[in-house]
Amino acid sequence: MENLKSKLQGRILELTNPDKRRIFLRVAPVELLNTVRLLHDEYGFWFVSTISGLDAGDDFEILYHFAGKETVLNLRVSVPKTDPRIDSITPVIPGAILYERELQDMFGVVVDGIPDPRPLLLSDDWPAGQHPLRKDWTFNRPPEVIPGAKS
Amino acid sequence: MKFQIPIGPQHPALKEPLGLKMTIEGEVIRDADIRLGYNHRGIEKVAEQKNWIQNIYLMERICGICSHSHATCYVQGAEKLMGIMPPARALYIRYMVSELERVHSHLLWLGVAGHEAGFDSFFMYVWRDREIVMDLLELISGNRVHYAINTIGGVRRDLDESQKTKILEGIKTLQKRSEYYLYIGVNEPSFVARLAGVGYLSKEQAMKLCATGPTAKASGIDRDVRKEDPYAVYDELEFDIAVADTCDVLGRTVVRIKEILQSYTMIEQMVKKLPVGDITVKAPRRPKPGEVVARYEAPRGENIHYIKSNGSDRPERLKVRAPTLANYAATIEMLKSGFIADIPLIFAAIDPCICCAERSVVLVDASSGAEKTVPMSELRRLGIERHKNSPIKRNLAWLY
Repeated sequence: MENLKSKLQGRILELTNPDKRRIFLRVAPVELLNTVRLLHDEYGFWFVSTISGLDAGDDFEILYHFAGKETVLNLRVSVPKTDPRIDSITPVIPGAILYERELQDMFGVVVDGIPDPRPLLLSDDWPAGQHPLRKDWTFNRPPEVIPGAKS
Repeated sequence: MKFQIPIGPQHPALKEPLGLKMTIEGEVIRDADIRLGYNHRGIEKVAEQKNWIQNIYLMERICGICSHSHATCYVQGAEKLMGIMPPARALYIRYMVSELERVHSHLLWLGVAGHEAGFDSFFMYVWRDREIVMDLLELISGNRVHYAINTIGGVRRDLDESQKTKILEGIKTLQKRSEYYLYIGVNEPSFVARLAGVGYLSKEQAMKLCATGPTAKASGIDRDVRKEDPYAVYDELEFDIAVADTCDVLGRTVVRIKEILQSYTMIEQMVKKLPVGDITVKAPRRPKPGEVVARYEAPRGENIHYIKSNGSDRPERLKVRAPTLANYAATIEMLKSGFIADIPLIFAAIDPCICCAERSVVLVDASSGAEKTVPMSELRRLGIERHKNSPIKRNLAWLY
């Protein structure tokens, strides 16, 4: 961890170790790809467990959970809700594509440079601009219409 | 000449709904595309509206085969947030159920693999033996599928002496039979010929595409959450990680059988070491604000829950990643340059636990590749038109 601190000098916004084998690290969105590349190449974090999105009021927090041999490193970036854009990490870790597509569907965060931006989980007739895991999204069940039923 | 064929969402070869689109050239698959979302249930959204206790049961319903793994992963995280530590006896019972669940899940898979490979007597043998472990689970928890044994701060049911002897007896029988299956798995010529070399995934590809569980282990990656992040009781138990380096479906079969053999020794150790004491501690209704990442080695691979609490009686965010999603990217790689007849086998080999894909019928014009999506109403109209003038069976005049 100390090693990580010196390597990432100046880029770290926050680095905590709340529990055994858990590290939380926060970087700026522009540094994301470089940090991921560094983690991948020099620290052997080749396995990205998943990407969690989080609606934190004015921002979206995006957490990249990397699982290494000794520890789980959670890389956190915040993007403003007004312009949610983030770089894709697929140039370094191709296996992250499904999680990035999920992030796009559920939060409407635009992932720049994603090789395949089609929706993954939402159905084809899902209205555009609706992102279910945002806190202000609520589900309104459309009235059920039974064809041929008496009114 | 390339064709595109849609497989699923509903297809006789797949047991659960999943949309696949294969680009094929003759019998060879050139490209594959996957579409989830046929039955997306929105559990993460629902979880934000339920309280901490209700969510245990909601999490249990994510999966029908590894129901215990999601509930345990969630409970692990919630306990950490609340700052409580369950008693040792509770942990032993909880993870004993986990290992029994792993045994039943892998035996189920082994049967399905035998069935997909056309070896149906193997399927029947394995599923007969699966009943032993299902009975043990029913004995411990009272249920066959949703054990509902977890609660925040411990487990809900205790074990007595007669149950312990029954578990040990059952495990002994299963161990003998599983060794025989391992022997068959690697020695029966027709079975080996069907599985070897199918669904190749090299170690580099598996690492690049973040494969997990038996899929990764069969490609020679010796990673297991139980070893590298030993939660609860796993640092007190002796076991090895089962790996194979054949990188194909045969390797995945062998890994799974070896993994259940490991589970038997773990269950035996847990029954013998079972400490005395309470099975629950009292949990607070509200945790402190905070966040936690809980990991768990499910039968299909690494299961990870990210839980954030804001100090209220409901979680602020509950992110679930089931192991099957992590393996989809790798599956597409495995399907490429395989044969059409291998699709069910390769798919079965990641042991998919699906609740996803798409919602409408896609018709592909074979000559032009043009696609159109047909809604139900249109299909109905086409059906009526097509059969308007055709004779109905009972009106048919038979010529003698």
